[in-house]
Formats: sequence, C-alpha cells, structure tokens
Amino acid sequence: MDVALEDRHAGRIVPATLIERIDVAYAKRVDDLWLTFLAAAIAEAEAAGTPVELLEHTHWRWTGKVELTAHLLSYPTLAIECEERPQGLMMLKTDGEIARSQNEQGKPLVYVEFLATAPWNLPAVVARPRFRGAGTILLRAAIETSLDLGFKGRIGLHSLRDAEIFYARSGMTALGRDQKKENLEYFEMTSTQAMAFIR
Amino acid sequence: MAGKKTMTLNLTEAEMVALERLSTEKDMSKTAVLRQALRLYQVISVRMQVGERLFFEDDIAKEKKELVVL
Repeated sequence: MDVALEDRHAGRIVPATLIERIDVAYAKRVDDLWLTFLAAAIAEAEAAGTPVELLEHTHWRWTGKVELTAHLLSYPTLAIECEERPQGLMMLKTDGEIARSQNEQGKPLVYVEFLATAPWNLPAVVARPRFRGAGTILLRAAIETSLDLGFKGRIGLHSLRDAEIFYARSGMTALGRDQKKENLEYFEMTSTQAMAFIR
Repeated sequence: MAGKKTMTLNLTEAEMVALERLSTEKDMSKTAVLRQALRLYQVISVRMQVGERLFFEDDIAKEKKELVVL
C-alpha cells in the first residue's frame, strides 16, 4: 500500500510503502540495519562526549518476534519502507484483547504489541532525524486493521515512557499504569477517537 | 488491507442462530465473528501441536476443566 513520509532533510513529502505481514528474512534485515546504525550512532556520540541515552525499545530483536508469529493470523507485523530501507515496524495482536475504557468495556480491539521507528528517524539518536510520520502511519494501519476485523477501529497498547506523549497527542486516552505490564501506561483509542484520527 | 477471497458457507439453522447471537453479543458482523474464530482456532491448534493443553479455570470453585479441541 502506498503511503507518504515527510523527508525532514529535503523538506518535502516522499512516497513510501506499507508492507503487510513481513517475513523472518525482512525482520532480520531490520535488525541488521537498525542495530548497526544504532551502534555506530552510540559510538559516535560517546566519542564526541555526548552519550546517547538508550531508548527503551532499542533492545528489541524483531527476528525473534517474527519467527514466533509469522505463521499466525493473529499476529501480523507491518513495515514502512522508504528508499529501500525499513522506516518503521509494528506487530499487532488481533485476537483475545478487549477494551477497558468505560464506554467500550469488553468489546474486542486490536492490540499493538510493538511499534518502533528506525533509529535514524529519532531525535534522541541523531541530531538531524530523517523521516517523520512513520508512527502515525502505523497507528492508522492498526486502526484500519481493527476496522477490517469488525472491531470498529478500537486499538489498545502499553506505551514505553519515551512514547507516552506521542500516543496522547495522537488522541489516545491514557487509562493508567498497568502493574501487570511493568507499570507501563495503558492507552486506548475508542471507535469514535479512531474515526476522528483517520478522517 | 490485503486482498480477500470470497467463499460460500452453508450453516445449519442452529449454527446460524449461534452465529447471530455471537454477532450481537460481540457487536461484530457475522463475518468478523467467523474470522476471529479462525484466528483462535489456529492459535489453539499451533499450541496443541507442541504439546500444550487448553483449560478453563474457575477461580471460585477452584476447578480446571480441559477443553478438548479437534
């Protein structure tokens, strides 16, 4: 599917591709590219005397995650590709998760298991991040998956601390820290919020 | 979303009643209910293939009952 990212260096919108259901080979490529870049960025920053604070998701290994789930309908992993490099990745869980928010309690939703953007797009890693918009596109894809499955756009996720502001600004509602999930803040988007997001 | 293929499904009266009830209860279309059922069946099947078993647990009665899945 065709999508678009903002190229912050060029100051323009550029075409990208949303790939549904990546395979293990693609996940391995993501790990190779992202971790290599991250290691180099960290080394460079440390040499310059400005150490990079490791983000919470930088230890994620997508190869292992996709190896366990690629054959399961319930766990699609989507990727955004631009300039022949993966710019963002997201794994969804599409069964067995229900809404906690007051008006939609008990109704099925799509759960975002993992969502990450490429390290060269992150202000915390590089002085001049390259592309903007990957997270928003992936959230939209999660909502559209929810709509496609008949869940009316409802999505939920536990946010890493670095990303709480992003999800709040995206219109998701924070429903409190979840002790069962390392005290991460749990966010949901109701059907109404989802429709407003994708309009 | 990826392209889909269409199939025709024949259900008994009782199956259709059950499907309609689930559809109402879950606030999902009948198609969505069946697609969800497929996902669950696959997950259960995969886990059983590696030797796991599926149980219902009653916290109050302190009972566990195995669900036998074909």
